[in-house]
Amino acid sequence: MSRTVRKFSSKNWFFKVLAAVLPGALLVGGLMGVVGVLCHTDGSPRSASGQYLMWMAALLWSALLSVCFLFRSGLQAWGVLIVANGVVWGLFVVLRSVLS
Amino acid sequence: MKLRADLVQLYRDVHSWVGIVAGLFLFVAFYAGAVTMFEEPLQSWASAPVALPPPVSLEQTPLLLEKALAAYPEARDDYTIAVTPEDAQRGRLTWDGSGGQVHHGPTQSMAAGLDGQGNLVVVPKTPSEAAHFVDVLHQQVGLPLPHTQAMVLMGAVALLYAVALVSGVIAYLPALMKTLFAVRLGQSVRKRWLDVHNLLGLFSLPFHLVMAISSVVFAFHGQIFAVEHMLFPGSSAGQHGGQHGGMHGGGHGGGGHAGGHGGASGVGAPSVTGAASASSAPVSSPAPVPVSVPVLPPTEILSIMARQAPGFVPEVLNYMQLGHGKDVVRVFGHDARYLTRGPTGGFVVLNSHTGAVQSGEYMPGHQPAKFAIVTTFFALHFGSFGGTPMRWGYVVLGLAGAFLFYTGNQLWIVSRRRRERESGLVVETRGTKLLAALTSGCTTGCVAGISAVFCAVPLLPYGGTYGAVSAVYYSVFCVFVVAAFCQRGQRGIRLLLAAAGGVTACVPLMLCLHGAHLLRTPEGLGVALMAGLLSVFLFASAAKHTREI
Repeated sequence: MSRTVRKFSSKNWFFKVLAAVLPGALLVGGLMGVVGVLCHTDGSPRSASGQYLMWMAALLWSALLSVCFLFRSGLQAWGVLIVANGVVWGLFVVLRSVLS
Repeated sequence: MKLRADLVQLYRDVHSWVGIVAGLFLFVAFYAGAVTMFEEPLQSWASAPVALPPPVSLEQTPLLLEKALAAYPEARDDYTIAVTPEDAQRGRLTWDGSGGQVHHGPTQSMAAGLDGQGNLVVVPKTPSEAAHFVDVLHQQVGLPLPHTQAMVLMGAVALLYAVALVSGVIAYLPALMKTLFAVRLGQSVRKRWLDVHNLLGLFSLPFHLVMAISSVVFAFHGQIFAVEHMLFPGSSAGQHGGQHGGMHGGGHGGGGHAGGHGGASGVGAPSVTGAASASSAPVSSPAPVPVSVPVLPPTEILSIMARQAPGFVPEVLNYMQLGHGKDVVRVFGHDARYLTRGPTGGFVVLNSHTGAVQSGEYMPGHQPAKFAIVTTFFALHFGSFGGTPMRWGYVVLGLAGAFLFYTGNQLWIVSRRRRERESGLVVETRGTKLLAALTSGCTTGCVAGISAVFCAVPLLPYGGTYGAVSAVYYSVFCVFVVAAFCQRGQRGIRLLLAAAGGVTACVPLMLCLHGAHLLRTPEGLGVALMAGLLSVFLFASAAKHTREI
């Protein structure tokens, strides 16, 4: 056992939080898109699906901001979230073209 | 439950820093929020009485309408008829007298009645803005900024609040389970603050989670809907009327109905224009009715409501002329059996010529299940369910929440002092001093400021215009903060607590002197009692407060 267990720390918090705020918000937008396409929402704020998406976004973003401190470093936070953005937005584009 | 020590330490750090940044804003939001539970009674108490003859009966109202609309044709587009006798005392018929301008001055409306000879009497009616000011203070976490900027900052505070909740649970729950009900009063001050903080935090956790997420939604709904509109551009969603309707239709309903219905109308209006224009497409659109067909009289509307929704208690009828035969009447009211979307109730939109229901999406008990679930989220924020006991429950939870943030800050200060002393420092660092002064200044300043507003109401013209009440609040607040910086140490804190207690003790006195009619209602008595208790609590804390660690 040469590899020590990595320790969580609050160091580097600024870049982790920044990652959760900027690419994190973009990711939440993408997830809204994916879920919205899957449940055929029209995105109207007056529709129930539009409302649920809004609550989902608030919940997800708060959750992401709470767990972003678990990333090993600011760099890792940015990396993971940017990749996740690519995946989610890609999925959104594919789903939208398939389903609509 | 065993969590890794480094994880617990990480979230401890996060919790204390996030808490310290957001704590004071949250204190103001929660304290003012608890006061807004009495917004309606306070509003009607604070507003000057309307000098009108006794209200005409509902059967006579069409006659009043005919005379008033002939003399004031501009009222035709949007006028309001009070149904309940209490509202009718302040004018059976009212309309917006500001010419549709949105401004921060007193929102003036016109109230009309008929005298003994059947002559039209019209008086301007300027509701007090004191209760509304406290609502805005609550929404903007105490920041005197333009609404848009304040909402972004409020959203940031709400997100910090959510993070503080999650981190608090992760960091302290495992240890807390062991010492759940232990409040170590006899030991150090730090342990006492810690135990009170943990106990309060844990037992109001569900309430706080609801508040955190709903506040994030309130702050960022505009942006989120804009994103939804970009993602799904095919819809008719972009209409801004709809956007605010979805959110604010029952949102912070401002002044409620008591103060001439200004708040509810102002906030809700776009929603119904949205409802009427947007939902007439999917819902089978009623055939346009020639404009010459008269609108249904109030009694007719009320009997339609009684037939279609027994149990729903209509309070206010708002007739709106939208043209093209789509004229509507919004029936505002409440139904004690159901959760409601807004702080005071819900509404239904009827076609004012035919009486056909056009939109029941905000109608308590008549919403489709999916909307009813969304309504639950809102109702859980406003406490608009379960009647009076629940409102009182929310008052207690709100005050306990404010106290939670106060204990959090105290805890931070006390632990920092202890650490500094352990590391051999004799004098406190500047950060500790700054935070100690800010904590005592802002919290006592907020309590005293709000109490001062309600003490000043009977003395201010119109029961307090928005500018006047905010001047009162912020000057008291600033005096307390400055005093906290000038008079540091134990004596300073005790002085501030006693001063806040003194101002708060004046509220029940003022209510006795100027608000005998309010004291006859259970809410009024409750407000007076609560203010009395709070001042006793502040005096007691002033006597007992100690800076020891």
